[in-house]
Amino acid sequence: MKIIETCGLTKVFGSNGNAVHALRGIDLEIRRGEFVALIGPSGSGKSTLMAILGCLDVPSAGSYALDGRQVERLAGADLAAIRNEKIGFVFQQYNLLPRATIARNVELPMLYAGVPRKERRRRGQELLERVGILDKAGALPSQLSGGQRQRVAIARALANRPALLLADEPTGALDSQTGQEVLALFRELHEQGNTVLLVTHDPTIAALAERRVELRDGLLHDQEAMAA
Amino acid sequence: MKRSGAFRERVSEAWIEIRENPGRSLLQAIGVMLGVASVLGGMSISDSQRRQAERIFTRIGGIDKLNVLPTDVIADGAPSALQTANLGLRLADADSGQGAVTAKAVNAVSVQRQVRARVRSEQADQERDVTGVGADYVAMNGYVIEQGRGFSARDLEAGTSVAVLGSEAASVFFPTGEIVGKQVRIGDVPVRVIGVFAEKSFRFRDGQQNIFAWRNRLIAVPSSLVAGRMNGDLYHRLDRITFRVPDLAAMANFSQELAGLVTSNHRLQKDFRLDDVAKRLERQFSQGAVYNLIFLLSGVLALIGGGMVNVNIQLASLKERVREVGVKMAIGAPGREIFKAFMTEALLLTLLGSAVGYAVGIVFAWTIAHSIGVPLTLAPLSFFWATLLALAFGFLFALYPAAKASRQSPMEALRYE
Repeated sequence: MKIIETCGLTKVFGSNGNAVHALRGIDLEIRRGEFVALIGPSGSGKSTLMAILGCLDVPSAGSYALDGRQVERLAGADLAAIRNEKIGFVFQQYNLLPRATIARNVELPMLYAGVPRKERRRRGQELLERVGILDKAGALPSQLSGGQRQRVAIARALANRPALLLADEPTGALDSQTGQEVLALFRELHEQGNTVLLVTHDPTIAALAERRVELRDGLLHDQEAMAA
Repeated sequence: MKRSGAFRERVSEAWIEIRENPGRSLLQAIGVMLGVASVLGGMSISDSQRRQAERIFTRIGGIDKLNVLPTDVIADGAPSALQTANLGLRLADADSGQGAVTAKAVNAVSVQRQVRARVRSEQADQERDVTGVGADYVAMNGYVIEQGRGFSARDLEAGTSVAVLGSEAASVFFPTGEIVGKQVRIGDVPVRVIGVFAEKSFRFRDGQQNIFAWRNRLIAVPSSLVAGRMNGDLYHRLDRITFRVPDLAAMANFSQELAGLVTSNHRLQKDFRLDDVAKRLERQFSQGAVYNLIFLLSGVLALIGGGMVNVNIQLASLKERVREVGVKMAIGAPGREIFKAFMTEALLLTLLGSAVGYAVGIVFAWTIAHSIGVPLTLAPLSFFWATLLALAFGFLFALYPAAKASRQSPMEALRYE
């Protein structure tokens, strides 16, 4: 079963005169349960590809099936529902809501999905326990360290049992020790069956993944399967 | 989303936003507060003045009194037998009125029969109007006994030969010496004076003439005495029946039923006249309507001013919050959820501002009412208008920022630094 299947994805910014081709035809397949690293230098189109794969943006041309559903033509609320249901985002800057408690941050995706309150509470606790910060449930993000915040972000990403965990430089803002712990958590999640796509510019981090995909100048250059 | 408590979550999130941004929230609430205070305060001042005016009208004009008066039946040619046989307004009509279904609203009834007679005492001899009174006449007309006693129920029932004099009449017929216990002759009937009413006076301003002076000329005897011994009238005919009904709306119902009852007593002849209650109602509601409109308008202007400030503040705060909007969208919030969150916050703020506005408005109205010496009247209708307008404008002015926030592209919102 394929979680991601794209064919000829292109993205063009601007119009005729000074059009910028950020993606020039991406064919990418990721199977359920894979741990894939997307690497590439800045300006390679990484962010653009990640935005499209994350359903934050739509491609200019090409097709994209996410967990068996064609999404390249969707917009607005439909795309929001797909993000809510199928994708768990982990960002470099954590992107927690600063005025909401940790518990509320984690429950938010379930709220949008219409999960009943009791069930939200219960699952929120379960998720916080899984990433090891249940004791901080009532705290605000500003009271937590970077590593703890990233754990909260991971718990939030897992809230609706997404088909795909999409992590954009998740260790970029952390010191190497904490970064290692967060990466270990991703490996653990992968071993429990989650599909993980890790976007990074750092080859040593990418080396942790089963498979590496390299993006250069809007093209997938090199697809190499690695032993886990 | 039925049982997910999404609404509750939105309200609690909105409350957190308001609490965590006190400066911004305060600025936004001030506009609402001033608008509500202006509508509520203004309307309350105008209500208070109107109520005061009503109290004065009640005292001098008696808008709470429903009068029934006899009228001549105008007929062409010779009157019919039915018309000749008709008895006119009489005590039985007052009793019918008190027995009406809607008579619960009536809290007093007075009857009177006027007679012109020669009145003689040891010290004076004059042609005077003598008033035969019944039921609650004395109390309803605000007469207070100063000397002696008033009429007892038995006096009124049996037609005892007793009289109570107004202060002017007392001083004319008994300029010196004791009054109570003395005798006067009214026509041929000797009557004992049992009491004297206190002087009644009402002046719009000190030093002006007493417009109640005529009331002190009263010479009151039981109406049954007039009917029995002065007129020899078996049917106890009357010149006026007055029902006191404090509630104008109830008065309208009662007057309708009363008209029917009296008409049937009078064998379907229209030989009486009832006060026009509809006209009174109309006057009561039109009075002060203009002032209310003016205060409503000033409140609306304050709310519009506040609303425009709010739009600006909301748009400025949107810049700070655009990244949060992006995050919410990334984790699956659809545009309408963002829209609802912004609207909830604006409306919650409106409600909070309104609550403070009530307090400010009441203090404002109380201060003004107090300084012009009028008791404060707070009408539920003013609260209703103040809240309705605040919510309407709060809603209207929140639409644009909320729509703008909800239409962000999630990717651009996330990239926003």
